Amino acid sequence: MDRSMERILPRVQKPARYTGGEYNAVVKDRDRVDTRVALCFPDTYEIGMSNLGIRILYGLMNELDGVWCERVFAPWGDMEEQMRSEGIPLYALESGDSIADFDIIGFSLGYELAYTNVLNLLDLAGLPLRAQERKGLSPLIIAGGTCAYHPEPLAPFIDIFSLGEGEEVLPELIALYRKAREEEWSKGELLLEAARIPGLYVPSLYDVTYHENGTVAGITPRRGAPELVTKRIVQDLDHSYFPVKTIVPSTEIVHDRVMLEVFRGCIRGCRFCQAGYAYRPVRSKSPELLRQQGIAACKDSGYQEVTLSSLSTSDYQPLMELCDGLLEWCEPNKVSLSLPSLRADSFSMSLTQRLQHVRKSGLTFAPEAGTQRLRDAINKNVTEEDLLTSCRTAFSGGWNSVKLYFMLGLPTETDEDVLGIADLAQKVYGIWKESSPNRSRGVRITVSTAFFVPKPHTPFQWEPQITTEEYLRRVRLLREHMRNKSIVYNWHDPETSLLEAVFSRGDRRLADVIEAAWRKGAKLDAWSEYFAPALWKEAFEACGLDPAFYANRERSEDELFPWSMLSTGVDNAFLWRERKQCYQTEITPDCRKQCSGCGANRLCRGGVCHA
Amino acid sequence: MPDQRISFSKTGTARYISHLDLMRTFQRAFLRAGIDIRHTEGFNPHAYVSILLPLSVGFSSECEILEFGLLGGIPNSKVPARLQAALPAGISVRKCYHAARPAKQLIYTNYIITMEYESGVPNGTGNCLRKLLEQDSLVVPKKSKKAKSGQVQVDIIPLIRKMSLEEREDTVIIDAVLKAQNPGLNPELLVTALRSACPDMAPDFASFHRKAVLDESLRKFE
Repeated sequence: MDRSMERILPRVQKPARYTGGEYNAVVKDRDRVDTRVALCFPDTYEIGMSNLGIRILYGLMNELDGVWCERVFAPWGDMEEQMRSEGIPLYALESGDSIADFDIIGFSLGYELAYTNVLNLLDLAGLPLRAQERKGLSPLIIAGGTCAYHPEPLAPFIDIFSLGEGEEVLPELIALYRKAREEEWSKGELLLEAARIPGLYVPSLYDVTYHENGTVAGITPRRGAPELVTKRIVQDLDHSYFPVKTIVPSTEIVHDRVMLEVFRGCIRGCRFCQAGYAYRPVRSKSPELLRQQGIAACKDSGYQEVTLSSLSTSDYQPLMELCDGLLEWCEPNKVSLSLPSLRADSFSMSLTQRLQHVRKSGLTFAPEAGTQRLRDAINKNVTEEDLLTSCRTAFSGGWNSVKLYFMLGLPTETDEDVLGIADLAQKVYGIWKESSPNRSRGVRITVSTAFFVPKPHTPFQWEPQITTEEYLRRVRLLREHMRNKSIVYNWHDPETSLLEAVFSRGDRRLADVIEAAWRKGAKLDAWSEYFAPALWKEAFEACGLDPAFYANRERSEDELFPWSMLSTGVDNAFLWRERKQCYQTEITPDCRKQCSGCGANRLCRGGVCHA
Repeated sequence: MPDQRISFSKTGTARYISHLDLMRTFQRAFLRAGIDIRHTEGFNPHAYVSILLPLSVGFSSECEILEFGLLGGIPNSKVPARLQAALPAGISVRKCYHAARPAKQLIYTNYIITMEYESGVPNGTGNCLRKLLEQDSLVVPKKSKKAKSGQVQVDIIPLIRKMSLEEREDTVIIDAVLKAQNPGLNPELLVTALRSACPDMAPDFASFHRKAVLDESLRKFE
């Protein structure tokens, strides 16, 4: 290890985050690889290492001959300070080498509040922030992840965005890069060729013009770049890469367990949920393969916990078969199986009870809204009866705490809906009183409300976010009606949600705001220790842009969105229909009951969706 | 009483793994290696491992001891190689043996403290340090989670069994035998003492290496 690192590590918190050397970390011989890739997660090690996507792409790229993919995370403030004062540039964990000399630097963009971290990491690497200032072929700066569906605020900083699932497109891009290097193309030539690969969006090849009122007037592709870039998907999950052998961190991370992804996409169509639309169509993995991979991953890692992951695990049709298959091995081997993302229905509860190793401490449900009317309007098909029955089963089975998640500020929400949350919590309390076998232990009902953020590529992409003042009024209203000592009410602070609302539907003019905020010191905005709303306010003012224009403005049906040239495969006309359904309090059946014609089937081979 | 012990070293990147994280790392390593070990009883049974004398984060060591119970199927002699293949970088297992002596017979720890001075060792540093430690008593503040004030006062003199030092051009190397437990002395306090008594002779950087664990008669403890 480098001498200067030895000096600074004793001065920082949790130094094991910065050393690499974990079990299964991939170390290759520098002289025997030709392409160095830095996979950057713009948040801390603990968050980034918990991300299954990072683990998939890391393993997949390292299986390519001649490619060495390494990890980079955002240093915490104390480490950043030490690195800057000692002149240590941003390095990759496996080799300790500065990433400025790498061939490709890829960012995983999971949420908008990490945008300043992207800039900070580029700067720590000693690279110019803006793509046009980076003239050479390398390092090529690419970005993928959920935010790549609406990437415009980062457009001037990133060379290429990758839309959708990266398993197939990344090797294609690496091959193109190698060809470009061999044939000594210019960066411009490489970008033109990259734009021909489906799923890759090269922002510098698009001109954006604006109306006087600030909305987008036109998005014009140049030099043969496509009018519409559609996301990529993996057709067959059974034959796509899964990292059975995966890094086991030597320090605790957030999700420290084997993660088995049972399916991608979602059949539900909750109207507020970007993932529910953007990850369509549904593709499932076979239970037998999952069982084998789960067992193999446990044996290889020594993890004693397996979790099934998906957007709604109850909707995995062979769930019972999978759980039985896994439990047969897990129980004698003292490995516990956990199932997050279950729906509050009777099937899920009977399943939960079968999992002996599930701790009986907490249970979480997300009704999202307080009244049936509003739940129908947002197409969250959970009924009060489902929820209360599930709670009854849980309480009579010995559970004594339940968490209920809601949103405030959903389209069509009235004060009645807000107060419905308090009513529902009170009803859950009543159920506990009726059904608890041991009331002397008490119960804890935690109600949390988040501030609704309208997301692009959803039926609510035209919706305004309610103002911060209005959100806080609704919080106060709800708080005044939470009088039961067994019910704890938490609400999300509105400032970060406002920023999310701005950047998730923002245009590329916002890049200046991100850069200004970062120059004023904004970073790690998702962390309350660092988030400084005042800096952001100054940055907006300095750039002459109004957050309300992006967050609180209702869009008309014909408005050209800043992300109009990007497609998740779901038709805009379908999303508009869904929005109208919301205002008529009409639910849309799930994909298995009846196809609603969202358009995502065209992403499947042969145009046939297998939800 | 545990059945087995392994001795291992902790160097390089592994120095920064904390005590708790290291125990978790070993629990998983035994599973990865397919070595069956005893589990704790109770609601959430987990593999039982215990590391004697927690080592401060950042210190290196060539004499760490981990206790556990082998459930059979594998002789002691095969454990090191099997386990080694399942461990992260920087941890090296030397030996697995039957735990014959009780851990309380581990009385002393031998540390090598390297104090570095970027612009050379100031004149008289060695003498200053010697004088300091020749006193009958030397009270140093030590961080404490239990005390309300966040620190307690410790007299370090009775906790030092032996000490020698070597002055070089830009390093001072202290070879110290310190009480290991009940109570033990963290070698960092020797540097703290120097820092407060002779601020001009405070090193720019100090590193700590645990060289040996010893019994009452200063023989190697196993």
